[in-house]
Amino acid sequence: MNRKAFDILGTVVLVIIMLIILLPLFWLLVSAFKSDFDVMRWPPKFFPSEWVGTQFAYVWKVLPIPTMLKNTVCFAGAVTIISLFFDSLAAYAFARMDFCGKKIIFGIILLTMMIPFQIVMIPIYLEEYKMGILNSFIGLVLPRAASAYGIFMLTSFFTGIPKSLDEAARIDGMSEIQIYLKIILPLSKPALVTLGIFHLMNNWNDLLYPMMLTSTQERRTLSAGLATLVGSNAIKYGPTLAATVIAIAPLLIVFLLGQRFFMEGIATSGMKE
Amino acid sequence: MKRNQKLAYLFIAPSSLILIIFVFVPLFEAFFISLTNMDIYMNGYNFIGVDNYLRILEDSRVWNATRNTIVYTIIEVPLQIALSLFILLLMLGNNKFHKFLRTVFYIPYVCSMTAISVMWSMILNKNSGMVAFMLSKIGIEIPNLLGTPGYAMGTVIAVSVWKSFGYTLTLLSAAALGVSQSLYEAAEIDGASWIKKFIYVTIPGIRETIAFCLVTTLITALQVFDQIYVLTQGGPLYSTETLVGYIYDRGFKTAPFDVGYATSVAVYLFFLIAIITFVLRRYATRREEE
Repeated sequence: MNRKAFDILGTVVLVIIMLIILLPLFWLLVSAFKSDFDVMRWPPKFFPSEWVGTQFAYVWKVLPIPTMLKNTVCFAGAVTIISLFFDSLAAYAFARMDFCGKKIIFGIILLTMMIPFQIVMIPIYLEEYKMGILNSFIGLVLPRAASAYGIFMLTSFFTGIPKSLDEAARIDGMSEIQIYLKIILPLSKPALVTLGIFHLMNNWNDLLYPMMLTSTQERRTLSAGLATLVGSNAIKYGPTLAATVIAIAPLLIVFLLGQRFFMEGIATSGMKE
Repeated sequence: MKRNQKLAYLFIAPSSLILIIFVFVPLFEAFFISLTNMDIYMNGYNFIGVDNYLRILEDSRVWNATRNTIVYTIIEVPLQIALSLFILLLMLGNNKFHKFLRTVFYIPYVCSMTAISVMWSMILNKNSGMVAFMLSKIGIEIPNLLGTPGYAMGTVIAVSVWKSFGYTLTLLSAAALGVSQSLYEAAEIDGASWIKKFIYVTIPGIRETIAFCLVTTLITALQVFDQIYVLTQGGPLYSTETLVGYIYDRGFKTAPFDVGYATSVAVYLFFLIAIITFVLRRYATRREEE
Protein backbone atom coordinates (compact mmCIF):
# COMPACT_ATOMS: atom_id res chain seq x y z
CA MET A 1 0.00 0.00 0.00
CA ASN A 2 1.43 3.38 -0.89
CA ARG A 3 1.69 6.38 1.37
CA LYS A 4 -1.24 8.30 -0.07
CA ALA A 5 -3.77 5.47 0.23
CA PHE A 6 -2.54 4.87 3.74
CA ASP A 7 -3.04 8.54 4.67
CA ILE A 8 -6.64 8.49 3.50
CA LEU A 9 -7.41 5.21 5.24
CA GLY A 10 -5.65 6.47 8.37
CA THR A 11 -7.74 9.63 8.42
CA VAL A 12 -10.94 7.60 8.13
CA VAL A 13 -9.87 5.42 11.07
CA LEU A 14 -8.93 8.49 13.12
CA VAL A 15 -12.29 10.13 12.45
CA ILE A 16 -14.08 6.98 13.60
CA ILE A 17 -12.06 6.88 16.81
CA MET A 18 -12.74 10.57 17.32
CA LEU A 19 -16.49 9.93 17.08
CA ILE A 20 -16.23 7.03 19.54
CA ILE A 21 -14.61 9.46 21.98
CA LEU A 22 -16.79 12.52 21.42
CA LEU A 23 -20.29 11.11 20.90
CA PRO A 24 -20.69 9.53 24.37
CA LEU A 25 -19.46 12.71 26.05
CA PHE A 26 -21.79 14.81 23.93
CA TRP A 27 -24.64 12.45 24.79
CA LEU A 28 -23.84 12.89 28.49
CA LEU A 29 -23.91 16.66 28.16
CA VAL A 30 -27.26 16.89 26.38
CA SER A 31 -28.84 14.11 28.46
CA ALA A 32 -28.36 16.12 31.65
CA PHE A 33 -31.08 18.40 30.24
CA LYS A 34 -33.59 15.57 29.79
CA SER A 35 -36.73 15.07 31.85
CA ASP A 36 -37.12 11.90 33.94
CA PHE A 37 -39.33 10.42 31.24
CA ASP A 38 -36.79 11.16 28.50
CA VAL A 39 -33.92 9.55 30.39
CA MET A 40 -35.62 6.18 30.74
CA ARG A 41 -37.68 5.97 27.55
CA TRP A 42 -37.44 3.25 24.93
CA PRO A 43 -36.57 3.79 22.17
CA PRO A 44 -34.04 6.26 23.56
CA LYS A 45 -33.57 9.63 21.92
CA PHE A 46 -30.17 11.25 21.65
CA PHE A 47 -31.40 14.81 22.20
CA PRO A 48 -33.98 15.76 24.85
CA SER A 49 -37.49 16.08 23.43
CA GLU A 50 -37.83 18.98 25.84
CA TRP A 51 -34.84 20.79 27.38
CA VAL A 52 -35.29 21.09 31.15
CA GLY A 53 -33.05 22.20 34.01
CA THR A 54 -34.87 20.24 36.71
CA GLN A 55 -32.08 17.69 37.19
CA PHE A 56 -29.57 20.46 37.88
CA ALA A 57 -32.03 22.18 40.22
CA TYR A 58 -32.47 18.93 42.16
CA VAL A 59 -28.72 18.34 42.54
CA TRP A 60 -28.16 21.96 43.51
CA LYS A 61 -30.84 21.60 46.20
CA VAL A 62 -29.59 18.38 47.82
CA LEU A 63 -25.85 19.17 47.67
CA PRO A 64 -23.94 22.33 48.70
CA ILE A 65 -22.37 22.69 45.27
CA PRO A 66 -20.64 26.11 45.71
CA THR A 67 -18.94 25.00 48.96
CA MET A 68 -17.82 21.76 47.37
CA LEU A 69 -16.51 23.57 44.33
CA LYS A 70 -14.53 25.91 46.59
CA ASN A 71 -13.15 22.96 48.59
CA THR A 72 -12.15 21.12 45.44
CA VAL A 73 -10.38 24.14 43.96
CA CYS A 74 -8.52 24.89 47.22
CA PHE A 75 -7.56 21.26 47.86
CA ALA A 76 -6.47 20.38 44.32
CA GLY A 77 -4.81 23.79 43.83
CA ALA A 78 -2.82 23.70 47.07
CA VAL A 79 -1.71 20.11 46.52
CA THR A 80 -0.59 20.93 42.97
CA ILE A 81 1.51 23.96 43.90
CA ILE A 82 3.14 22.51 47.01
CA SER A 83 3.78 19.13 45.43
CA LEU A 84 5.34 20.69 42.30
CA PHE A 85 7.75 22.59 44.52
CA PHE A 86 8.74 19.64 46.72
CA ASP A 87 8.87 17.17 43.81
CA SER A 88 11.10 19.40 41.69
CA LEU A 89 13.47 20.10 44.60
CA ALA A 90 13.96 16.39 45.21
CA ALA A 91 14.16 15.61 41.50
CA TYR A 92 16.90 18.22 41.11
CA ALA A 93 18.96 16.51 43.79
CA PHE A 94 18.43 13.07 42.25
CA ALA A 95 19.14 14.18 38.68
CA ARG A 96 21.95 16.72 39.02
CA MET A 97 23.69 16.19 42.38
CA ASP A 98 25.80 13.47 43.92
CA PHE A 99 25.25 12.25 47.45
CA CYS A 100 25.57 9.08 49.49
CA GLY A 101 22.72 6.61 49.18
CA LYS A 102 21.24 8.39 46.17
CA LYS A 103 20.40 5.20 44.27
CA ILE A 104 18.93 3.47 47.31
CA ILE A 105 16.79 6.43 48.35
CA PHE A 106 15.56 6.86 44.78
CA GLY A 107 14.74 3.16 44.62
CA ILE A 108 12.76 3.38 47.84
CA ILE A 109 10.82 6.36 46.52
CA LEU A 110 9.98 4.39 43.37
CA LEU A 111 8.73 1.60 45.60
CA THR A 112 6.11 3.89 47.13
CA MET A 113 4.43 4.09 43.72
CA MET A 114 3.56 0.42 44.08
CA ILE A 115 1.78 0.75 47.40
CA PRO A 116 -1.97 0.52 46.88
CA PHE A 117 -3.77 3.33 48.65
CA GLN A 118 -6.08 0.82 50.34
CA ILE A 119 -3.18 -0.58 52.35
CA VAL A 120 -2.21 2.76 53.96
CA MET A 121 -5.71 4.18 54.14
CA ILE A 122 -6.53 3.04 57.68
CA PRO A 123 -3.10 3.93 59.14
CA ILE A 124 -3.28 7.42 57.60
CA TYR A 125 -6.71 7.85 59.12
CA LEU A 126 -5.34 6.77 62.52
CA GLU A 127 -2.32 9.08 62.23
CA GLU A 128 -4.43 12.07 61.32
CA TYR A 129 -6.79 11.27 64.17
CA LYS A 130 -3.86 11.30 66.60
CA MET A 131 -2.45 14.52 65.11
CA GLY A 132 -5.90 16.09 65.33
CA ILE A 133 -5.98 17.11 61.68
CA LEU A 134 -8.79 14.85 60.54
CA ASN A 135 -11.52 16.58 58.56
CA SER A 136 -9.34 19.67 58.09
CA PHE A 137 -7.81 21.38 55.08
CA ILE A 138 -4.27 20.62 56.31
CA GLY A 139 -5.12 16.98 56.88
CA LEU A 140 -6.33 16.73 53.30
CA VAL A 141 -3.34 18.50 51.72
CA LEU A 142 -0.39 17.22 53.77
CA PRO A 143 -0.33 13.53 52.72
CA ARG A 144 -0.39 14.65 49.08
CA ALA A 145 2.27 17.40 49.42
CA ALA A 146 4.88 15.22 47.70
CA SER A 147 4.49 12.43 45.20
CA ALA A 148 6.74 9.59 44.16
CA TYR A 149 5.35 9.77 40.65
CA GLY A 150 6.24 13.44 40.39
CA ILE A 151 9.77 12.89 41.65
CA PHE A 152 10.18 9.97 39.24
CA MET A 153 8.90 11.91 36.25
CA LEU A 154 10.82 15.13 36.94
CA THR A 155 14.04 13.25 37.68
CA SER A 156 13.95 11.59 34.27
CA PHE A 157 13.19 14.95 32.67
CA PHE A 158 15.95 16.82 34.53
CA THR A 159 18.42 14.06 33.63
CA GLY A 160 17.75 14.79 29.96
CA ILE A 161 18.87 18.43 30.22
CA PRO A 162 22.47 18.67 28.97
CA LYS A 163 24.98 18.58 31.82
CA SER A 164 27.13 21.19 30.12
CA LEU A 165 24.56 23.87 30.99
CA ASP A 166 24.99 23.73 34.73
CA GLU A 167 28.70 23.01 34.49
CA ALA A 168 29.05 26.32 32.68
CA ALA A 169 26.85 27.98 35.29
CA ARG A 170 28.92 26.50 38.08
CA ILE A 171 32.10 27.89 36.52
CA ASP A 172 30.36 31.25 36.40
CA GLY A 173 29.93 30.94 40.14
CA MET A 174 26.22 30.12 40.38
CA SER A 175 25.08 28.23 43.48
CA GLU A 176 23.01 25.04 43.26
CA ILE A 177 19.90 26.93 44.30
CA GLN A 178 20.47 29.52 41.58
CA ILE A 179 21.00 26.76 39.01
CA TYR A 180 17.77 25.08 40.16
CA LEU A 181 15.78 28.31 40.07
CA LYS A 182 17.29 30.05 37.05
CA ILE A 183 18.31 27.22 34.72
CA ILE A 184 16.57 23.94 35.43
CA LEU A 185 13.10 25.21 36.39
CA PRO A 186 12.69 27.58 33.40
CA LEU A 187 13.91 24.86 31.02
CA SER A 188 11.46 22.40 32.58
CA LYS A 189 8.31 24.48 32.20
CA PRO A 190 6.66 21.90 29.90
CA ALA A 191 7.34 19.04 32.32
CA LEU A 192 6.20 21.14 35.29
CA VAL A 193 3.00 22.15 33.52
CA THR A 194 2.36 18.54 32.55
CA LEU A 195 2.93 17.27 36.06
CA GLY A 196 0.89 20.15 37.47
CA ILE A 197 -2.06 19.12 35.32
CA PHE A 198 -1.63 15.49 36.43
CA HIS A 199 -1.70 16.56 40.07
CA LEU A 200 -4.66 18.85 39.54
CA MET A 201 -6.56 16.14 37.68
CA ASN A 202 -5.82 13.30 40.06
CA ASN A 203 -6.79 15.26 43.13
CA TRP A 204 -9.81 16.84 41.52
CA ASN A 205 -11.10 13.44 40.43
CA ASP A 206 -10.07 11.42 43.45
CA LEU A 207 -12.92 9.71 45.21
CA LEU A 208 -11.89 7.44 48.06
CA TYR A 209 -9.20 9.68 49.58
CA PRO A 210 -11.20 12.85 50.28
CA MET A 211 -14.24 10.75 51.15
CA MET A 212 -12.30 8.97 53.88
CA LEU A 213 -10.52 11.98 55.41
CA THR A 214 -13.54 14.28 55.54
CA SER A 215 -16.69 13.65 57.47
CA THR A 216 -18.79 16.80 57.16
CA GLN A 217 -20.54 18.25 54.13
CA GLU A 218 -18.69 21.57 54.58
CA ARG A 219 -15.38 19.85 53.90
CA ARG A 220 -16.45 17.57 51.07
CA THR A 221 -14.95 17.90 47.61
CA LEU A 222 -17.09 17.71 44.48
CA SER A 223 -16.37 14.09 43.60
CA ALA A 224 -16.76 12.88 47.17
CA GLY A 225 -19.97 14.85 47.58
CA LEU A 226 -21.45 13.74 44.29
CA ALA A 227 -20.59 10.14 45.13
CA THR A 228 -23.22 10.30 47.85
CA LEU A 229 -25.67 10.70 44.99
CA VAL A 230 -24.08 8.28 42.55
CA GLY A 231 -23.23 5.69 45.17
CA SER A 232 -26.68 5.41 46.65
CA ASN A 233 -28.50 2.26 45.66
CA ALA A 234 -31.65 3.95 44.50
CA ILE A 235 -29.93 5.60 41.55
CA LYS A 236 -31.98 8.39 40.08
CA TYR A 237 -30.67 8.51 36.55
CA GLY A 238 -31.59 12.10 35.77
CA PRO A 239 -29.92 13.82 38.74
CA THR A 240 -26.95 11.49 38.40
CA LEU A 241 -26.43 12.68 34.84
CA ALA A 242 -26.55 16.30 35.98
CA ALA A 243 -24.20 15.57 38.87
CA THR A 244 -21.75 13.89 36.54
CA VAL A 245 -21.74 16.91 34.23
CA ILE A 246 -21.18 19.25 37.19
CA ALA A 247 -18.30 17.08 38.43
CA ILE A 248 -16.39 17.03 35.16
CA ALA A 249 -17.28 20.40 33.64
CA PRO A 250 -14.98 22.79 35.57
CA LEU A 251 -11.83 20.75 35.01
CA LEU A 252 -12.77 20.09 31.39
CA ILE A 253 -13.21 23.82 30.76
CA VAL A 254 -9.81 24.53 32.34
CA PHE A 255 -8.25 21.84 30.16
CA LEU A 256 -9.88 23.07 26.95
CA LEU A 257 -8.84 26.67 27.66
CA GLY A 258 -5.28 25.66 28.44
CA GLN A 259 -4.94 22.71 26.08
CA ARG A 260 -2.81 24.50 23.50
CA PHE A 261 -0.30 25.43 26.17
CA PHE A 262 -0.44 21.95 27.63
CA MET A 263 -0.14 19.95 24.41
CA GLU A 264 2.59 22.18 22.99
CA GLY A 265 4.22 22.00 26.38
CA ILE A 266 4.81 18.28 26.16
CA ALA A 267 5.47 18.33 22.43
CA THR A 268 8.19 20.97 22.58
CA SER A 269 9.67 19.59 25.77
CA GLY A 270 13.43 19.65 26.09
CA MET A 271 13.57 15.87 25.73
CA LYS A 272 15.07 16.26 22.29
CA GLU A 273 18.77 17.00 22.27
CA MET B 1 31.51 18.54 47.50
CA LYS B 2 30.74 18.15 51.21
CA ARG B 3 28.65 21.30 51.18
CA ASN B 4 26.78 20.04 48.16
CA GLN B 5 26.03 16.74 49.91
CA LYS B 6 24.29 18.59 52.73
CA LEU B 7 22.41 20.71 50.25
CA ALA B 8 21.27 17.63 48.36
CA TYR B 9 19.81 16.15 51.54
CA LEU B 10 18.12 19.47 52.21
CA PHE B 11 16.60 19.33 48.72
CA ILE B 12 15.13 15.88 49.24
CA ALA B 13 14.10 16.54 52.85
CA PRO B 14 10.56 17.94 52.42
CA SER B 15 9.31 15.23 50.09
CA SER B 16 11.12 12.48 51.98
CA LEU B 17 9.52 13.64 55.21
CA ILE B 18 6.04 13.59 53.67
CA LEU B 19 6.64 10.17 52.13
CA ILE B 20 7.97 8.80 55.41
CA ILE B 21 5.08 10.11 57.51
CA PHE B 22 2.29 9.35 55.08
CA VAL B 23 3.56 6.30 53.20
CA PHE B 24 6.27 4.41 55.04
CA VAL B 25 5.03 4.68 58.60
CA PRO B 26 1.50 3.78 57.47
CA LEU B 27 2.93 0.86 55.49
CA PHE B 28 4.56 -0.56 58.60
CA GLU B 29 1.48 0.16 60.64
CA ALA B 30 -0.44 -1.79 58.01
CA PHE B 31 1.83 -4.80 58.50
CA PHE B 32 1.00 -4.61 62.20
CA ILE B 33 -2.73 -4.19 61.62
CA SER B 34 -2.68 -7.23 59.32
CA LEU B 35 -1.60 -9.29 62.32
CA THR B 36 -4.61 -8.24 64.39
CA ASN B 37 -8.34 -8.81 64.31
CA MET B 38 -9.04 -5.06 64.20
CA ASP B 39 -12.44 -4.03 62.90
CA ILE B 40 -13.53 -0.69 61.49
CA TYR B 41 -14.32 0.75 64.93
CA MET B 42 -10.69 0.11 65.95
CA ASN B 43 -11.25 -0.68 69.61
CA GLY B 44 -10.65 -3.85 71.59
CA TYR B 45 -8.59 -5.69 69.02
CA ASN B 46 -6.07 -8.46 69.65
CA PHE B 47 -2.82 -9.59 68.16
CA ILE B 48 -3.57 -12.83 66.34
CA GLY B 49 -0.29 -13.53 64.55
CA VAL B 50 -0.39 -14.85 61.01
CA ASP B 51 -3.98 -16.12 61.27
CA ASN B 52 -5.14 -13.61 58.65
CA TYR B 53 -2.51 -14.82 56.21
CA LEU B 54 -3.53 -18.44 56.77
CA ARG B 55 -7.10 -17.37 56.06
CA ILE B 56 -5.98 -15.94 52.70
CA LEU B 57 -4.69 -19.36 51.67
CA GLU B 58 -8.12 -20.89 52.20
CA ASP B 59 -10.16 -17.98 50.84
CA SER B 60 -11.27 -18.84 47.32
CA ARG B 61 -12.43 -15.25 46.74
CA VAL B 62 -8.83 -14.06 47.13
CA TRP B 63 -7.68 -16.45 44.41
CA ASN B 64 -10.58 -15.54 42.19
CA ALA B 65 -9.77 -11.84 42.70
CA THR B 66 -6.09 -12.49 41.99
CA ARG B 67 -6.98 -14.20 38.73
CA ASN B 68 -9.34 -11.38 37.73
CA THR B 69 -6.75 -8.73 38.59
CA ILE B 70 -4.13 -10.47 36.46
CA VAL B 71 -6.55 -11.09 33.58
CA TYR B 72 -7.54 -7.40 33.66
CA THR B 73 -3.89 -6.32 33.71
CA ILE B 74 -2.52 -8.57 30.98
CA ILE B 75 -5.32 -7.57 28.61
CA GLU B 76 -5.77 -3.90 29.48
CA VAL B 77 -2.12 -2.79 29.57
CA PRO B 78 -0.94 -4.21 26.20
CA LEU B 79 -4.23 -3.13 24.61
CA GLN B 80 -3.81 0.44 25.79
CA ILE B 81 -0.20 0.66 24.64
CA ALA B 82 -0.81 -1.12 21.32
CA LEU B 83 -3.77 1.14 20.54
CA SER B 84 -1.68 4.22 21.36
CA LEU B 85 1.16 3.02 19.14
CA PHE B 86 -1.28 2.29 16.31
CA ILE B 87 -2.82 5.77 16.57
CA LEU B 88 0.66 7.27 16.80
CA LEU B 89 1.52 5.56 13.51
CA LEU B 90 -1.55 7.19 11.93
CA MET B 91 -0.66 10.60 13.36
CA LEU B 92 3.00 10.86 12.41
CA GLY B 93 2.08 13.50 9.84
CA ASN B 94 1.57 15.83 12.80
CA ASN B 95 -0.63 18.26 10.87
CA LYS B 96 -3.30 20.52 12.36
CA PHE B 97 -5.93 17.78 12.36
CA HIS B 98 -3.59 15.43 14.22
CA LYS B 99 -2.84 18.09 16.82
CA PHE B 100 -6.57 18.65 17.29
CA LEU B 101 -7.11 14.89 17.66
CA ARG B 102 -4.46 14.63 20.34
CA THR B 103 -6.47 17.09 22.42
CA VAL B 104 -9.70 15.20 21.72
CA PHE B 105 -8.17 11.85 22.72
CA TYR B 106 -6.96 13.36 25.97
CA ILE B 107 -10.41 14.63 27.02
CA PRO B 108 -11.67 11.37 28.63
CA TYR B 109 -8.50 11.20 30.70
CA VAL B 110 -9.34 14.58 32.22
CA CYS B 111 -12.71 13.30 33.44
CA SER B 112 -13.01 11.27 36.61
CA MET B 113 -13.26 7.50 36.25
CA THR B 114 -16.42 7.61 38.36
CA ALA B 115 -18.11 9.99 35.96
CA ILE B 116 -16.98 8.03 32.89
CA SER B 117 -18.21 4.78 34.41
CA VAL B 118 -21.61 6.27 35.24
CA MET B 119 -21.88 7.49 31.68
CA TRP B 120 -20.99 4.14 30.11
CA SER B 121 -23.23 2.16 32.44
CA MET B 122 -26.14 4.22 31.11
CA ILE B 123 -25.08 4.06 27.45
CA LEU B 124 -24.58 0.28 27.65
CA ASN B 125 -27.80 -0.35 29.57
CA LYS B 126 -29.71 -3.08 27.73
CA ASN B 127 -33.14 -1.54 28.37
CA SER B 128 -32.60 2.17 27.78
CA GLY B 129 -29.10 2.60 26.39
CA MET B 130 -28.10 4.09 23.05
CA VAL B 131 -25.79 1.23 22.07
CA ALA B 132 -28.44 -1.46 22.50
CA PHE B 133 -30.92 0.67 20.55
CA MET B 134 -28.59 1.37 17.63
CA LEU B 135 -27.47 -2.25 17.38
CA SER B 136 -31.09 -3.45 17.53
CA LYS B 137 -31.79 -1.25 14.51
CA ILE B 138 -29.33 -3.27 12.46
CA GLY B 139 -30.68 -6.50 13.93
CA ILE B 140 -28.14 -7.22 16.63
CA GLU B 141 -29.46 -8.03 20.08
CA ILE B 142 -26.76 -7.41 22.68
CA PRO B 143 -26.76 -9.31 25.95
CA ASN B 144 -26.66 -7.46 29.25
CA LEU B 145 -22.97 -6.58 28.90
CA LEU B 146 -22.34 -5.64 32.51
CA GLY B 147 -24.61 -8.31 33.98
CA THR B 148 -23.31 -11.39 32.17
CA PRO B 149 -20.22 -13.11 33.58
CA GLY B 150 -18.66 -13.77 30.17
CA TYR B 151 -18.91 -10.15 29.00
CA ALA B 152 -18.54 -8.04 32.14
CA MET B 153 -14.74 -8.07 32.39
CA GLY B 154 -14.34 -7.34 28.69
CA THR B 155 -16.67 -4.37 29.02
CA VAL B 156 -14.79 -3.03 32.04
CA ILE B 157 -11.53 -3.32 30.10
CA ALA B 158 -13.01 -1.57 27.06
CA VAL B 159 -14.22 1.36 29.20
CA SER B 160 -10.80 1.60 30.88
CA VAL B 161 -8.93 1.66 27.57
CA TRP B 162 -11.44 4.17 26.16
CA LYS B 163 -10.73 6.50 29.05
CA SER B 164 -6.97 6.12 29.38
CA PHE B 165 -5.31 5.57 26.00
CA GLY B 166 -5.10 9.34 25.47
CA TYR B 167 -2.65 9.56 28.34
CA THR B 168 -0.30 6.99 26.82
CA LEU B 169 -0.74 8.50 23.37
CA THR B 170 0.19 11.99 24.61
CA LEU B 171 3.39 10.76 26.23
CA LEU B 172 4.32 8.65 23.20
CA SER B 173 3.66 11.43 20.68
CA ALA B 174 5.72 13.87 22.72
CA ALA B 175 8.58 11.39 22.69
CA ALA B 176 8.12 10.63 18.99
CA LEU B 177 8.36 14.32 18.12
CA GLY B 178 11.66 14.36 19.94
CA VAL B 179 13.18 11.68 17.72
CA SER B 180 15.87 13.32 15.65
CA GLN B 181 14.87 14.14 12.05
CA SER B 182 18.31 13.15 10.81
CA LEU B 183 17.57 9.54 11.73
CA TYR B 184 14.50 9.59 9.50
CA GLU B 185 16.50 11.19 6.71
CA ALA B 186 19.18 8.55 7.01
CA ALA B 187 16.52 5.83 6.87
CA GLU B 188 15.02 7.47 3.81
CA ILE B 189 18.38 7.46 2.01
CA ASP B 190 18.58 3.76 2.78
CA GLY B 191 15.23 3.42 1.05
CA ALA B 192 13.17 2.47 4.10
CA SER B 193 9.38 2.53 3.67
CA TRP B 194 7.23 4.56 6.12
CA ILE B 195 6.23 1.46 8.05
CA LYS B 196 9.85 0.39 8.33
CA LYS B 197 10.76 3.87 9.52
CA PHE B 198 8.12 3.55 12.23
CA ILE B 199 9.41 0.14 13.35
CA TYR B 200 13.12 0.82 13.08
CA VAL B 201 13.37 4.55 13.87
CA THR B 202 10.34 5.72 15.84
CA ILE B 203 9.86 2.76 18.18
CA PRO B 204 13.52 2.43 19.21
CA GLY B 205 13.63 6.20 19.62
CA ILE B 206 10.76 6.18 22.10
CA ARG B 207 11.62 2.91 23.80
CA GLU B 208 12.26 4.53 27.17
CA THR B 209 8.90 6.29 27.09
CA ILE B 210 7.18 3.01 26.16
CA ALA B 211 8.84 1.38 29.16
CA PHE B 212 7.74 4.26 31.37
CA CYS B 213 4.13 3.93 30.15
CA LEU B 214 4.27 0.19 30.59
CA VAL B 215 5.37 0.37 34.22
CA THR B 216 2.95 3.14 35.24
CA THR B 217 -0.09 1.65 33.50
CA LEU B 218 0.80 -1.75 34.92
CA ILE B 219 0.89 -0.45 38.49
CA THR B 220 -2.38 1.42 37.93
CA ALA B 221 -4.01 -1.66 36.40
CA LEU B 222 -3.06 -3.91 39.29
CA GLN B 223 -4.85 -1.43 41.58
CA VAL B 224 -7.98 -1.12 39.45
CA PHE B 225 -11.00 -0.09 41.52
CA ASP B 226 -13.13 2.95 40.56
CA GLN B 227 -14.52 1.68 37.25
CA ILE B 228 -15.38 -1.71 38.69
CA TYR B 229 -16.97 -0.16 41.77
CA VAL B 230 -19.32 1.86 39.57
CA LEU B 231 -19.84 -0.50 36.61
CA THR B 232 -20.31 -3.93 38.20
CA GLN B 233 -19.53 -3.82 41.95
CA GLY B 234 -17.38 -6.89 41.31
CA GLY B 235 -20.26 -8.91 39.90
CA PRO B 236 -21.87 -10.73 38.28
CA LEU B 237 -20.95 -13.80 40.33
CA TYR B 238 -17.62 -12.21 41.36
CA SER B 239 -16.48 -12.33 37.72
CA THR B 240 -15.03 -8.80 37.89
CA GLU B 241 -14.02 -8.73 41.54
CA THR B 242 -10.39 -7.58 41.74
CA LEU B 243 -8.08 -7.53 44.74
CA VAL B 244 -8.61 -3.88 45.62
CA GLY B 245 -12.35 -4.37 45.24
CA TYR B 246 -12.21 -7.35 47.57
CA ILE B 247 -10.13 -5.39 50.11
CA TYR B 248 -12.69 -2.60 50.03
CA ASP B 249 -15.55 -5.07 50.34
CA ARG B 250 -14.13 -6.90 53.36
CA GLY B 251 -12.91 -3.81 55.19
CA PHE B 252 -15.51 -1.17 54.51
CA LYS B 253 -18.58 -2.46 52.72
CA THR B 254 -19.75 -5.82 54.05
CA ALA B 255 -20.14 -6.47 57.78
CA PRO B 256 -18.20 -7.55 59.78
CA PHE B 257 -15.89 -4.73 58.72
CA ASP B 258 -12.79 -6.83 59.02
CA VAL B 259 -10.04 -4.22 58.67
CA GLY B 260 -7.33 -6.57 59.93
CA TYR B 261 -8.09 -9.22 57.35
CA ALA B 262 -8.61 -6.65 54.57
CA THR B 263 -5.20 -5.19 55.36
CA SER B 264 -3.52 -8.58 55.15
CA VAL B 265 -4.97 -8.98 51.65
CA ALA B 266 -3.61 -5.51 50.87
CA VAL B 267 -0.16 -6.56 52.06
CA TYR B 268 -0.40 -9.59 49.79
CA LEU B 269 -1.36 -7.30 46.87
CA PHE B 270 1.58 -5.03 47.65
CA PHE B 271 4.02 -7.92 47.32
CA LEU B 272 2.32 -9.11 44.15
CA ILE B 273 2.73 -5.65 42.57
CA ALA B 274 6.30 -5.30 43.81
CA ILE B 275 7.34 -8.67 42.38
CA ILE B 276 5.67 -8.13 39.00
CA THR B 277 7.14 -4.63 38.65
CA PHE B 278 10.57 -5.80 39.73
CA VAL B 279 10.62 -8.67 37.24
CA LEU B 280 9.42 -6.38 34.45
CA ARG B 281 12.03 -3.72 35.16
CA ARG B 282 14.73 -6.36 35.34
CA TYR B 283 13.62 -7.73 32.01
CA ALA B 284 13.44 -4.25 30.46
CA THR B 285 16.92 -3.21 31.60
CA ARG B 286 18.43 -6.53 30.54
CA ARG B 287 17.02 -6.05 27.06
CA GLU B 288 18.49 -2.58 26.87
CA GLU B 289 21.93 -3.89 27.75
CA GLU B 290 21.89 -6.48 25.02
